[in-house]
Amino acid sequence: MTSGTGRIVPDRTVRNRTKIALGRRDPVSSALLDVLGLTKSFDGVVALADGRFRLEAGTVHALCGGNGAGKSTFLSIVMGIQPRDSGTIAVAGKPVAFTHPSQALAAGIAIIEQELSPVLDLTVAENIFLGREPVAAFGRIDFAAMRRDAERLLRQLGFAIDPGAVMRTLSIGQMQLVEIAKALSHDAQIIIMDEPTSALGETEVGQLYAAVKRLRDAGKGIVYVSHRLTEILELADHYTVFRDGRYVSSGRVAEIDRAGLIGMIVGRALSEEYVKTNVPGEAIRLAVDGLSLPGTLSDISFTVRAGEIVGFYGLLGAGRTELMECLFGLQRGWTGRMTVDSVPVRAASPRAAMDAGLALVTEDRKQSGLVLTSSVRENLSLAMLPALSPRGVMDRKREAGAAVEAIRRFGIRTATDRLAVGSLSGGNQQKVVIGRFDMTTPKVFLFDEPTFFFYVWAKSEIYSIMSEFASKGGAVVMVSGEAEEILGMCDRIVVMRQGRVAAILERGQADQQTMLHLAA
Amino acid sequence: MSAGSIGTGRRMAGARVAVEYMKRYGIVTAFFALCIVLSLVSDYFLSVGNIVNVLRQTSINGVLAIGMTFVILTRGIDLSVGSVAALAGIVATSFATRSTIAGIPGAPYPALLAIAVGLLVGLASGGVSGGIVTRFRVPPFVVTLGMLSIARGLTLLYAGGRPIPDLTPQFRWIGTSEVFGVPLPILVLAVVFAVAWWVLGYTRFGRQVYATGGNPRAATSSGINVSRVRLLVYLISGGLAGLAGIMLAARTGSGLTQAGISYELDAIAAVVIGGTSLSGGVGGVTGTLFGALIIGVMNNGLDLLGVDSNYQQIFKGLMIVGAVMLDSARRGEAH
Amino acid sequence: MSFRKACLAGTAALLATIGAAHADPAKKLKIGVDLYGLKAEFMQLWAASVKQSPEVKSGNVEVTVFDGRYDSLVQQNQFDTMISQKYDAIIFAPIDADAAAAAVEAAHKAGIPVIGTNTRANSPLLTSYVGSDDTRSGYLEAKAVLDKIGCKGNVVIIEGPIGISAQIQRREGNLKALKECPTVKVLAMKTANWSRAEAQTLMDDWLTRYPGRINGIIGQNDEMALGAIEAIKSANLKVTSFAIAGIDGITDALLAVKAGEMTSILQDANAQAQGSMDVAVRQVDGASFKPQSDIWQQYPQMKWDDGTAKNYNVPWTPVTPQNVDELLARRQKGI
Repeated sequence: MTSGTGRIVPDRTVRNRTKIALGRRDPVSSALLDVLGLTKSFDGVVALADGRFRLEAGTVHALCGGNGAGKSTFLSIVMGIQPRDSGTIAVAGKPVAFTHPSQALAAGIAIIEQELSPVLDLTVAENIFLGREPVAAFGRIDFAAMRRDAERLLRQLGFAIDPGAVMRTLSIGQMQLVEIAKALSHDAQIIIMDEPTSALGETEVGQLYAAVKRLRDAGKGIVYVSHRLTEILELADHYTVFRDGRYVSSGRVAEIDRAGLIGMIVGRALSEEYVKTNVPGEAIRLAVDGLSLPGTLSDISFTVRAGEIVGFYGLLGAGRTELMECLFGLQRGWTGRMTVDSVPVRAASPRAAMDAGLALVTEDRKQSGLVLTSSVRENLSLAMLPALSPRGVMDRKREAGAAVEAIRRFGIRTATDRLAVGSLSGGNQQKVVIGRFDMTTPKVFLFDEPTFFFYVWAKSEIYSIMSEFASKGGAVVMVSGEAEEILGMCDRIVVMRQGRVAAILERGQADQQTMLHLAA
Repeated sequence: MSAGSIGTGRRMAGARVAVEYMKRYGIVTAFFALCIVLSLVSDYFLSVGNIVNVLRQTSINGVLAIGMTFVILTRGIDLSVGSVAALAGIVATSFATRSTIAGIPGAPYPALLAIAVGLLVGLASGGVSGGIVTRFRVPPFVVTLGMLSIARGLTLLYAGGRPIPDLTPQFRWIGTSEVFGVPLPILVLAVVFAVAWWVLGYTRFGRQVYATGGNPRAATSSGINVSRVRLLVYLISGGLAGLAGIMLAARTGSGLTQAGISYELDAIAAVVIGGTSLSGGVGGVTGTLFGALIIGVMNNGLDLLGVDSNYQQIFKGLMIVGAVMLDSARRGEAH
Repeated sequence: MSFRKACLAGTAALLATIGAAHADPAKKLKIGVDLYGLKAEFMQLWAASVKQSPEVKSGNVEVTVFDGRYDSLVQQNQFDTMISQKYDAIIFAPIDADAAAAAVEAAHKAGIPVIGTNTRANSPLLTSYVGSDDTRSGYLEAKAVLDKIGCKGNVVIIEGPIGISAQIQRREGNLKALKECPTVKVLAMKTANWSRAEAQTLMDDWLTRYPGRINGIIGQNDEMALGAIEAIKSANLKVTSFAIAGIDGITDALLAVKAGEMTSILQDANAQAQGSMDVAVRQVDGASFKPQSDIWQQYPQMKWDDGTAKNYNVPWTPVTPQNVDELLARRQKGI
């Protein structure tokens, strides 16, 4: 990070005068960013064959594409993280070749990464100005000035965050907003946002949208990368689609619809996003009555029937994940009753929960789902170890057989089951986790944000797995923060708010508006 | 976006192949390279007698390092093994001495009883460490650092700070005898290695160890009792430290209060050089065995050539840092 | 650079440094010297002296000095190496008397004579012992302190590492002298592990705990006595109002004696080293061999006895203001 870079905030520090603002010299005629014929190969494998992108000032331009489309490679070349093989990049009409992200930043390109990197024990203001704190006499950090500047910046952006708050006390969504503010504090003309809403709740998403629109109106160019098509359709002015490392097409968002966009991204028409074949039966498989967890959940009651998919909708912090953890024996100290097929269950550990016929695909597959250092096979057999190892010794033949069967059944795309699970794509990783628990032949399958971060077709695969499980008489619980997929998949919807059940809606009587209203 | 870790062109591709090669065969290559060089410069190095020497000299560190491998695979560390070995050694010898210095009435007892007592002391120490780590969630570094000090103190208290001399021939047999020409300590190492290799590769417990170290949360949500696994690895480490202490006492012919000082460092070095990751979940005892052999060959080779022992420390240090650099390079690849 | 290249480079660098050691394979006597550790000045002097032996200088003997690194097991491993390399004789200063027996036994079995020095191995198989009696030095230093305080008052004792032979024997000597002064009270007795820094901390604490009550300080070596002196100085007390003694006669201690701050009992490293070399060569060459070092003239009370006596007692020399200048002059010559 260079200290020569200024920020939006018109503060009193001298540095501002040295700022480089390339985009301003040539306001309308040429594009802010113009990339042509960008190529890049790794070990002979082409990652980017023809990268094209043209960003105009005062627009929001969505960069779309599935996994392996070449978006990441494209962005990392533009930011100077990697060298290109060929192609041209022009910023404000001038060819550039950055060799380090700091040069890109100095030339007025800022990126907001999807991964958070806050210093948790510093304040919001200290995080925003980390490494370029305003200095007073004798090298002392001018905390008062820093705080004032941060406050002004946050107010301009419309983020309701106290600059003096310690980072650790903020919600994940608020932290993300601070990171965004930090990136915007550099006076960049081009702002790249890589999945900026991935960690945001609905309120924060609203604040972010407002900020993006304000930046656009101020004449900045925004490159917006998101897997959420709804966001793109709502926010972006232009789109550019990459597929298999190639530029496919670009145009105005106003002239295209959702299906058309999906068609371009996937390369074929997607018949149906939500694969739903299950029909709810009569028998109650899972019944929860008056479940409470001190300080988090109170008096939660619901039922799930055989063949039914029940969705849990709510904002971050509504207690949905904690509820799943209670059911699966990962949380202790809850009160209330729970039955599976009318048999009382009181799971003290995940092992006991599995024995009672429950399975849980946890929220974050990298954090709590997969053993990334182990192979696909070892990950698949993890929940089945006792059955696969009579008297403690692994039955390696049976294990291999079970793994191959799961790979076939769920269509996990991997060369062999001995491959490190970390080398698989996100959707296939998720199928490994689902396959692992499917081996335990559960009666009730709990899914916590099962499609988080997936593109539409990867989502469809997960949906069809859920749907198939339910149509064979299983009960499915699906936790999600995306109203659309809940509406698309679920037979009934439990809306949670602050650890309580706000309402239980039938399919057909629910819509996005009602759900949001109940949840907030 | 994970662009920061994607390689930069062909040069990186070559490096990646090298990293992959080093990950699989690096330790073996390094070991044989060292052996070839030493056999070229010393006429004695490749003699049967000397090879037996190296193996015998490696046996104690090898046993400690194998126990350490289990602990490190679960993201833990056991700093107490040297002190626990000393404690187990002094307690075991107090049951196997003909002198009255230790004050155990009725001593000497049969060697098997003395060995059993020594192993129990090791297991108990490991159990205390493991219990505190799992029950009170104190970091293993701190718990075993405490145990390092406690076990040394107990060793000094026991038998009033004097070494225990005059052990029965049966007890010394563990350290001095040969079976079909192979010294017993080498056989002990071979058996410990074989069992550990089998346990890690072929049993449920082995899988649980790798899963616990690779991702404790995933292991928990897959029904693995992570606390139990952690407790068991400290028991294994403690028990093997006890065994090493018995071997050490039998070989030196007395229970020593100053035995095993800083042996934990050589054990950790063997594990790390052997490619087991300090972040858990990756590695195994085969690498550790070669790591211990490299350290043993280096000590032996330098003694053979009459080189200042300080060179060996430098070389060992370079190997440790090199091994960890390799591990980080590999981690960079994985993301 | 790949890891493997680094290994090879390291090995090559190592070889370059050791090439000289193996330049001449002519028919020389090979004598190994295994010293318990080379960290302190005394053993450094010892090693330097043995390399100055007439036999080594004349080129008849090739001597290799092994650093035992204060670990019985390391010394035992070095014995294995010397045995497999067929050394002609071994000179041995063990860290632990009891543990040393096993090593001596192994050499004896291989037909290699072992000459003990400095610290005695508890083994009847030791060919000969050229050293100074630690019980005697412990007695002498305690006596010096007690004489200075007129056989009344209070003393503290700073001990060596608990459990090793020198500590045990020097303590025995200390206590023997104290018995002759039954009214003298030992306020405290604790280890500082031969270390000047540890002794200083210990003495700081004692000066706080027993203000004005300590009259004499018995340090079981010079380093620790010097540490105590530093503590007294930093507490702004007068060093001369304490009676302080140490053992070994290292250079700093000689200077402190000259300044009137302490008493030291000189252990003659040169006489031990060259005496044991003469005895070792006599064992290999047979009765025709005549001792070559001038130490036999220096200490006429130590008789050559055809080089086959079991015990050569190198006398202790109390360092006094009268002889300190001469001793310091000798130290200038590096021995």
